[in-house]
Amino acid sequence: MADALTRSMRASHVLAAVLVVASLGFAAFGAASGDTFYLRLGTEALIFAGLALSVDILLGYTGLLSLGQALYFGLGAYLSALVLMVTPSFWAAMGATAIGAVVVGTIGGFIANRVRGVYFALITFGMAQVIAKVVYNTRALGASDGLIGVPVIDINLGLFKISSASPVGFFLVVLTFIIILYALAAYLLDTPFGRLLIALRANERRVPFLGYRTVTARLAAYVIAAVIAALSGALYPMLRGFVSPELLFFATSGNAVITVVTGGVGTLVGALYGSILLTLFKSVVGSYTEHHLIVIGLLFMGAVIFLPRGLMGIVRPVIERRLNRGAKS
Amino acid sequence: MTYKTTILAALLSATALVSAQSVQAADPIKIGVVTPLSGTYAGIGQQVRWGLDLATKEVNAAGGIMGRPVELIYEDEEANPSVAVQKADKLFQVNKVDFLTGTVNSGSTLAVGQVAERAGKLIATTVSFADSITADKCSPNVFRVNARAGQQSAALAVWLSKEKPKANVFYLGPDYEMGRSTVAAFKASAEKVGAASTGEVFAPLDSKDYTQYFGQMRAAKPQVLYTSVAGNDTVRLLTQMQEFGLLNNLTVVGASGTVTAQNLPAIGKAAEGFVTGVGYSAEIDTPENKKFVAAFKAANKIDPDLYGADSYGLIYAYKAAVEKAKSTETDKVRTAFNDLKWQTPQGEKTLRAGDHQAVQTMYVVRVTGGKFSIVGQVAGTDAIGPDACTRF
Repeated sequence: MADALTRSMRASHVLAAVLVVASLGFAAFGAASGDTFYLRLGTEALIFAGLALSVDILLGYTGLLSLGQALYFGLGAYLSALVLMVTPSFWAAMGATAIGAVVVGTIGGFIANRVRGVYFALITFGMAQVIAKVVYNTRALGASDGLIGVPVIDINLGLFKISSASPVGFFLVVLTFIIILYALAAYLLDTPFGRLLIALRANERRVPFLGYRTVTARLAAYVIAAVIAALSGALYPMLRGFVSPELLFFATSGNAVITVVTGGVGTLVGALYGSILLTLFKSVVGSYTEHHLIVIGLLFMGAVIFLPRGLMGIVRPVIERRLNRGAKS
Repeated sequence: MTYKTTILAALLSATALVSAQSVQAADPIKIGVVTPLSGTYAGIGQQVRWGLDLATKEVNAAGGIMGRPVELIYEDEEANPSVAVQKADKLFQVNKVDFLTGTVNSGSTLAVGQVAERAGKLIATTVSFADSITADKCSPNVFRVNARAGQQSAALAVWLSKEKPKANVFYLGPDYEMGRSTVAAFKASAEKVGAASTGEVFAPLDSKDYTQYFGQMRAAKPQVLYTSVAGNDTVRLLTQMQEFGLLNNLTVVGASGTVTAQNLPAIGKAAEGFVTGVGYSAEIDTPENKKFVAAFKAANKIDPDLYGADSYGLIYAYKAAVEKAKSTETDKVRTAFNDLKWQTPQGEKTLRAGDHQAVQTMYVVRVTGGKFSIVGQVAGTDAIGPDACTRF
């Protein structure tokens, strides 16, 4: 008999599968109608979903509120842009980003994990601000103008190649990539290591009595989140052809936290749904009124007050009950 | 709120996926405007909108462009390049705009320029200052109708060489990338016209106390101080200099954002005599400008600034180009834009074919009696500088 956590994660997987099916339908419809804008918007939503996923690993599982996850997203975006401008290879960009994220994530993790609670939030915020300012003032990185001219690349997937300029092709690549990140995160969090992270969130003081080193687990969670954020960020310049220091600013980190809270903290799949909803919503509302930030702020407040467990808080229990009924009969 | 209804109509037609858009004579020419309507640069975006709205109203009242009315479609870019790119993509792909403008910060202009290149459309900026947009990062699809930073500092340097030949100049800039590059640019133009540099110092942004730099400044015995600090930093710098008696026998010149209508009242007497180079001033004494200022004031109850005036002028540039090309097709309009001459409130402008930069008469303004007044003009050809664009 599976425990409560495994059961609720199963419900998350069902919702992820629904998302994949819906996305494939959307891609087919987009391809048939020759649409470019909505496919690219969807791709961007999925890229930011990867960032939200990394926030959820920290916030929903380990209980660490990071207000500076944009640091790793931006790191990935800049590394990928720089690599692509030298050699237009998807795998080289991703490899460089993964290595860079492990190194920077470990250093950042050592600094941030010295403290906890609100101090952790502040120190992650501070680190991201410092790096953002450094990038903003470095001529070699394009300073405040950012880097433009990231070339369109052909992504070599062994059997065939997909151009990053193809709206449908690149949408499917990003969808696959983000779902793999989701699956990896879900798998990791279901292992004993994942249970340890949840134990950290529940009561960090008691964990050492069970014979675990909390520092290592926290650091590992931090580095994993950093890598996921950076790999998502690495996709950004392939989609848009440029990077700018605004990607490292607090607005990016803050949006990711809002996404997770709206979608449902600690559900993983909530990050994906949250990002798609928020991106779509911003685009539509933003076209009607310049006061769109107020509208989104009000909706966020409404979500926190009336849906404290996020969107997934309503949807997931229903699916869970159905799954249980199915298992019993 | 007519723009809302146009956006609504555009969205509805787009979401209904109406692809059969046969161009009829009365179909509007659509111009997308991606500009900051919220956030730090909302004030600039507001001027851009007022300028564009006014010109569009005038053009439509006079029969539109080639008999077709002009329609503006606004999108808020929040002064963030990643938002600007998304909105530009929408305007190109969903609203099918013929032309795009409005970007304010240089990062947005560069990024949106690239989107335009990939979509095969043209854009123009009416605000961004960064020289790179029409120099090393120039694009065949990007035009600039306002004066770039280099033109402003070149105009100031030319004025300086006439008024204070072979002056000793001291430089004080804010310590960040943009501050350092503006100082370097002015230093280069000033030295070219014979000024001697006696020293430079960079103070952190938002400095409370500038007196620590005064010793160095005094020892350098400058006749002219160039500064590119802005906002409240200028208030503190100039008032502290006045308290220390450093403003006597010293001409203070600066970047166009150093002393503005916003911080001028707070600086008060210490701003007296401050000189800067600009591409537009509401004080320009020509019939065209007087007419423009009156119309702008009647519509918006406020004087136009350079952003409003340059945005206003852009609509007429686009009108002239489309009428010359007899088409809104990208390649034809691009050719028509090359070396196009057209009339704006600040006089005739020419779009240089080599780098897509507007050449225009530059003005030197001085604060006198708490108000800006024009003290000199520099011919467009003297301020423009060499064509540094190598891409086309």
